[in-house]
Amino acid sequence: MSDTRIIDVGEGAAIPKRDDWGLFNAWTISIVGAILCICYLVFFQPTPYRRIIFYLADGVIITFQVTVISIVCACVIGLITGLGRVSKNKAINLLASTYVEIIRGIPLLVQLFYIYYALGRLLNVHDLTAAVIAMSVCYGAYMGEVFRAGITAIDKGQTEAARSLGFNTKQTMFLVILPQAWRTILPPVGNEFIALLKDTSLVSILAVSDLLRRGREFSSETFLYFETFTMVALIYLVITLLLSKGVGIMEARLSHYVRH
Amino acid sequence: MKRLFKSLFLVSACAILALGVVGCGEKKEEKKAEAPAPAAAPAPAGPKTIIFASDATYPPMQYMNEQKEIVGFEVDVIKAAAEKGGFKAEFKNVAWDGIFAGLASGKYDAISSSVSITDERKATMDFSEPIIAIEQMLVVGIKDKATDLAALKGKSIGAQIGTTSYFVVKDVKGFKAIKTYDEVGLAMEDLVKGSIQAVVADSPVAVEYTSKKYADKIKIAGVIKSDKVENIGIAVKKGNKEVLDLVNKGLAAIKADGTFDKIKAAHKMQ
Repeated sequence: MSDTRIIDVGEGAAIPKRDDWGLFNAWTISIVGAILCICYLVFFQPTPYRRIIFYLADGVIITFQVTVISIVCACVIGLITGLGRVSKNKAINLLASTYVEIIRGIPLLVQLFYIYYALGRLLNVHDLTAAVIAMSVCYGAYMGEVFRAGITAIDKGQTEAARSLGFNTKQTMFLVILPQAWRTILPPVGNEFIALLKDTSLVSILAVSDLLRRGREFSSETFLYFETFTMVALIYLVITLLLSKGVGIMEARLSHYVRH
Repeated sequence: MKRLFKSLFLVSACAILALGVVGCGEKKEEKKAEAPAPAAAPAPAGPKTIIFASDATYPPMQYMNEQKEIVGFEVDVIKAAAEKGGFKAEFKNVAWDGIFAGLASGKYDAISSSVSITDERKATMDFSEPIIAIEQMLVVGIKDKATDLAALKGKSIGAQIGTTSYFVVKDVKGFKAIKTYDEVGLAMEDLVKGSIQAVVADSPVAVEYTSKKYADKIKIAGVIKSDKVENIGIAVKKGNKEVLDLVNKGLAAIKADGTFDKIKAAHKMQ
């Protein structure tokens, strides 16, 4: 065999990798395009774009807050749910499965309304708190399924090996299975992060002053619908792209574990 | 070489996209100046049908009854005006946020949704003769002693998005938060459950909520004084004289023959 080309079977179909085209990959083009658009609009068409971006600024911070806190909470809930879903304890398993079934069956928008307005009479939670609770509970269920899939994807031999080396169940899970599962889980979890970020726009119905709500306030007052929502869309795009890059970097780091 | 082509293609695609966004932004300005496009399909015969957009979440002005019909004071006024003015009125339930954008893009002929006539709005749309004058009222919890906005410093206050009620409070400094709701009912609900301490709303709506739905929980604290009379009217697309004349003709007729006063009395409007 004179052909020395290595075909990486483990990587699936022979499609170009993310960074095969150097600077000209989808991510760079999107983010450079979006940032250039924002800069152009803000610096060369200051009316009304500069006014819009100043008006939207605090909304970006709220959106960011809701996203970050919800991601952290959803990850914790997801891990617990995922472990519950693979638990041999029937009660825990049933509890986790029921939680996933119920939450996955109710649209996020309805959950938001439910927690804030329906349960509001009893609990009276703050609007931001309600938003974070609804986002984390909803995405916790989705992530629980991702975690479960990741855990069950690890070869049974790993558990057997760990157990025969004298690890107890807990040690096996946390020292052997989860560190390996994390690698498989990360891409879908990253997708969940990005979906969560975009879904935070739904919290604007609770009158939370997030990016979308600020945009709607501005446009309903000035009637500059096109200009305002162009800006809102561009800002969402930039944040989402940054987040997806973050997830990409994490993926690359973790792939050190993969044998080449 | 192939790579170079690929990169060139991508760069140009990116540039075209960017130009597109900017270009559209500029085009909009031109569109505004253009004469309004004629209504979609002119009725072949008989009275002209005018489609009114109405945010039916605004009792007692316009709301949905249990039969899923849009009813209310303003609806009755328009229906009576249609009879006298020689046009057919059709109502369409449209969310308030974006109702003006829909008018501008010609999705309906007019807005009948307690639209206050303001100078800012007059710049982008035309208004009929005033239907009724309203005031901005401050609604607070039943035990609250505040009677004006100044007493609510440091508190959270709510209003419906894009309404004159919101414009009244938005420039007042010192509130903990000014929250904007999609519907005035949601603002009232939030006030009842204590997330906010006050709501500003149009007087008919404030009276409705404090006297019926939540009579034992919230009350009217007072009227927010203004040196200008606030009137509500029917909004039409700028330059749409045909619809405006028909509506004005109908309104004038019912005001002249006493029908208007009867409707007003039936709805207990002040």
